[in-house]
Amino acid sequence: MRNTCRYWLPIFLLGFATVTVSAQSFRVQCPTTTITHPVATNLEPAYTGPGVNGAIKCQQISGGDGYSTMGDGTQTYMFSFGPLSGLADIAAGKPGTQFPNIFNTTFAGFQPGDPATTDLAGTTPIPVLPSQLTFGYNGAVGLALDVANTVNIYDIAPLGLNPGDSVLIAHTGAGVFPAPGPYDGTQTVLAANVTTFPSGITNFGFPASNNFTFTIGTTGLPDVNVSSTATASTPRALDGHVDPRQIMDVGVMNGNIPAPLMAIDEDDEFFLTLTNVGMIMRPDLFEQHTVHFHGYPNASSFYDGVPDASVAINIGASFTYYYLAPDAGTYFWHCHITPPEHLQMGMVGQLYVRPRQNRVPTGTDLGTALKAQQGDNRTKCDSTADILCSNPMPASANTNTGATGVAQIAGGMYAYNDGDGSTRYDVEYPIQIHGFDPNFHFVGMTFNPEGFSDMKDKYFLLNGRSYPDTVTPGPLYTMSSDGSNHFSQPLSAIINIPAGKRALLRISDLDVTEYQTLASLGIPMQVVGFNAKLLRDQAGNNMYYTTNSITLAGGESLDVILDATGYTAGQVFYLYTPNLDHLSNDAENFGGLMTEVRIN
Amino acid sequence: MRATNMKKTIFQTHLLLAAMVAVTLLFTVSANAAAPGIKGTTFNLVAAPAYLNQPDGQAVYSWGYGCAANFNPTFAPALSRSGFCNVMQVPGPTLIVTEGTPVVVTLTNSLPPSAGNTSILFPGVTLSAFTDGTPGLLTQEAAPGATVTYRFTAPSPGTRAYYSGTQGDLQVEMGLYGALIVLPATASVPSNCTATGTLGAKNLAAEAAHGEADYRLSQSAYDHPDTCYDREYLFQFSEMDPRIHTRAEAQVTATAGCVVGAAGCSLNVPTEPYHPAYFLINGRSMPDDMDPNYATEYPHQPYNGDPHMHPGELTLIRVIGQGRWQHPFHEHGNHVRILGRDGNLILSSSTSTLSYEGVPATPLAGPLQFTTTTTPGLAFDGIFYWTAKGLNWDAYGHNPTSGDPLATLACTPDANGYNTGDPTAINYYEWCADHFKPVEKVPFGDVAGGGPATLPDANLFTNGAWYGGSPYLGPDATVRATGCSTGQQANGPGLQCGQSGSTPPSGTIANSPSSEAGFAFMWHSHNEREITTNNIFPGGMLMMMLVDSREYVIDETN
Repeated sequence: MRNTCRYWLPIFLLGFATVTVSAQSFRVQCPTTTITHPVATNLEPAYTGPGVNGAIKCQQISGGDGYSTMGDGTQTYMFSFGPLSGLADIAAGKPGTQFPNIFNTTFAGFQPGDPATTDLAGTTPIPVLPSQLTFGYNGAVGLALDVANTVNIYDIAPLGLNPGDSVLIAHTGAGVFPAPGPYDGTQTVLAANVTTFPSGITNFGFPASNNFTFTIGTTGLPDVNVSSTATASTPRALDGHVDPRQIMDVGVMNGNIPAPLMAIDEDDEFFLTLTNVGMIMRPDLFEQHTVHFHGYPNASSFYDGVPDASVAINIGASFTYYYLAPDAGTYFWHCHITPPEHLQMGMVGQLYVRPRQNRVPTGTDLGTALKAQQGDNRTKCDSTADILCSNPMPASANTNTGATGVAQIAGGMYAYNDGDGSTRYDVEYPIQIHGFDPNFHFVGMTFNPEGFSDMKDKYFLLNGRSYPDTVTPGPLYTMSSDGSNHFSQPLSAIINIPAGKRALLRISDLDVTEYQTLASLGIPMQVVGFNAKLLRDQAGNNMYYTTNSITLAGGESLDVILDATGYTAGQVFYLYTPNLDHLSNDAENFGGLMTEVRIN
Repeated sequence: MRATNMKKTIFQTHLLLAAMVAVTLLFTVSANAAAPGIKGTTFNLVAAPAYLNQPDGQAVYSWGYGCAANFNPTFAPALSRSGFCNVMQVPGPTLIVTEGTPVVVTLTNSLPPSAGNTSILFPGVTLSAFTDGTPGLLTQEAAPGATVTYRFTAPSPGTRAYYSGTQGDLQVEMGLYGALIVLPATASVPSNCTATGTLGAKNLAAEAAHGEADYRLSQSAYDHPDTCYDREYLFQFSEMDPRIHTRAEAQVTATAGCVVGAAGCSLNVPTEPYHPAYFLINGRSMPDDMDPNYATEYPHQPYNGDPHMHPGELTLIRVIGQGRWQHPFHEHGNHVRILGRDGNLILSSSTSTLSYEGVPATPLAGPLQFTTTTTPGLAFDGIFYWTAKGLNWDAYGHNPTSGDPLATLACTPDANGYNTGDPTAINYYEWCADHFKPVEKVPFGDVAGGGPATLPDANLFTNGAWYGGSPYLGPDATVRATGCSTGQQANGPGLQCGQSGSTPPSGTIANSPSSEAGFAFMWHSHNEREITTNNIFPGGMLMMMLVDSREYVIDETN
């Protein structure tokens, strides 16, 4: 280990050295426009035909450590991701993914440990209920107005100013630097690179070599020629620069299980910034973290998150992953550094992509809309030319028009681009299966050697919780070793379905030791998708099947629809594991992998 | 082991691993896979003991099938590295046969006398009446020193498992398993898989243009026009509990030379509780699995797991679960279309037909999976490919303003959007919609800027052994991104070759930026504790799949 330190120290120092020059270690990226989305929009446009529409979506997460609370009350140490954007949404059990206009904002009111610190302050008795959540900021944590690009006013060329730009003038006062002066303030550039000044305009006393003029709000000021200390700068802007204090206040020991939820729509460009805040409890480890977008078709090796095959971000720095949203489906994500360790320790999260079909205008035939997708090579599915596409036109579609006779309803939501409305749902619940081996977590916290082959999970988790915590509404909090409470498990696993409605369960499994079975003691499970693909054969026949249990390995996902037609409000069913030894919370022999389906 | 030692051990293992990889690379530029085996109609096999090498330095006592001393098999595919088939290997020899032909497999039991009888089960195969051997519970067996003969007609095409049918809890654990590959009869290979003008033929032309050989056993996996393939790899997953092997060895040693049938001439090895510590692909743990086929370091583990492919190539993966556990085999990079299981093609119940490259057939109905569970005794065949489709940036790093002709290659989309017009082009099968689209806001090297993303300073991240040196595919693109290529510098005089702050560091170990620069994807068990070798990470069921640019010659010989 000593060797590692010696190796890393110079690089670490080098990282800090670069801050002052050009690069900053922590930063976020969320452009408002791109080549693909040249016009800034902050909503999902309707899908009306071939081409990329969608929007830009951004999210920031921390990579570090934290604690969670198991069903028997045990505090468990984790290597984990936490939210650094969408804090209020994550606390409310929603995705932390945001449009740029929400993401690119600043907030000054953070307390260390937020949002839990703020939310828990007014709640007695705790636990906090969803209705008691008061923390409302969903932008990126840490975003700060950039340190302006400041030059001496005698040489403003590096600013590259153009007429109409704003320029910040400072230190125009007489006397000793940094005396403020009468021309200080934000001015609008009238002309740049000029040699002659328009009639009636002077450059207010700055030497002609400045070659620019600007307006000034006050008049009658004498020309000053004391500007040897005067500076000009471009106005401060949100360009990804961050204030590391906020990052550390909120990001440290802020681990969540599951890691922050992400949700994007097909055609979105997704910018995910991973900020590595370090693991406070393991100062001996100089661990990188990564994000592997598990299951992305035609993934890029560079953004695949496998450290062996790509790059991994060091402590004290940020890396932004970029993807154009892949085909709709239930994916998931996790760290890919030393997977048997980092996944077991809790660095696992949920991610799903919503289909274009959601954006089809009301009244449009869904089959016709899917037919329109065949007009774009990127979105079409031709079974005779592409063996890896999964949603060909449904067998029921009209061969000429594609029409299936199923029209889009207002607010219609679907798991996939099915063209026939068969994956429609009213409410959706991401459910992630996981397991914790308390022995492994203990040795992981206490610098002890970790054995892999005899890893044995003792806590069996749905969204990071064991029964009965699975049916606790609102975020669970855990006190960390920094003495403050953090929202450790924000996502309840209660499945509320209005009577007569359809619920989509986006089930993923990131257990690292064994297969897990989940059974529905009530409403049958209709499996419509597997591994983020619609279950449909190449002839267009839906291969959905109905069952009362599904079995997944770590690294698999599956889409289930529970149809509450014929059920009545007040009914409660259980979703539980028939792996009966998994119905336990370590020594407690009842709990584990179980939650409730409530008809309401 | 004391607390502080473990991380050090792991760290040293990393170093050791890096060193091993480096040493390996000294001997072989690359170690690729194919689906090697022995081909014919008559196979004289033997079951015998030997030691398997593991990357932690252990030699694990095991049993395996091998070739009888007087049997000179025909190795397939033709590899320039000499194939060998010793009297014991794990997995057993891959038996390659052709559908409809009579096959004779003789098995001689050369296991220690106390191991008792042994046998081979061929699930899904109808055997002819036995003429020798000893009746056993599940099949005819070979007594110690004796021989049994299995005769059958090769069934439908596809990949199947074979394994011991005698005391399987011990004998399969000890290594008595292998693969049976049934190829379609020549007349049954669908015409589109052989015809000129089809994508398969174009891929062959592309391979030939760059001096690559064809290592396929056939041209289609099944008698179906959508099962054409361009490359194939066979992966057998199994695990070992070293305690069982150690006990078996101790008891075999204690009973050495005993008389078969005499009191005490038997083994009593507990096979439960089961705590495997070695997790194997083709009998090897990572990184050994990425060493060449028939590498002399592994006299009893001849088969590797080191898949390579070019963009757009249809890659057939033949996967068998051996051993006794299921393993979620996760293929990074794309989904796999499951074609069939145990040699049974999965077809739609629909009566309609689809026209695959002009050949009508019943549509496929196997699922698409990014995690393909391996199940004991079950084999499946699947098709995988990788293209840069939908990335929204030019994975080849083309730069329209460059002076380097390789940076300005044309991309002419075919009916599906790919550049397939000229099979000799380096960017054959490029996804044209993203041609010339930059990924990075900042231009660097000879790669255009203006894209949506900005990389952090290269000093802020750590790169991996299989990192190709840049976000781009191919040695030319990587050299242009990280260094200077001829006639470039189109991005302006302010940029210096290889010195841009946005340029990731290059010079990685296993995927040379200057010669290969492929896109590496990890293919591994997603029961992540199984990517360890006897508690050491990395290891176990893990291999790196490389998508290589066309100018990199994939030599599956190694």
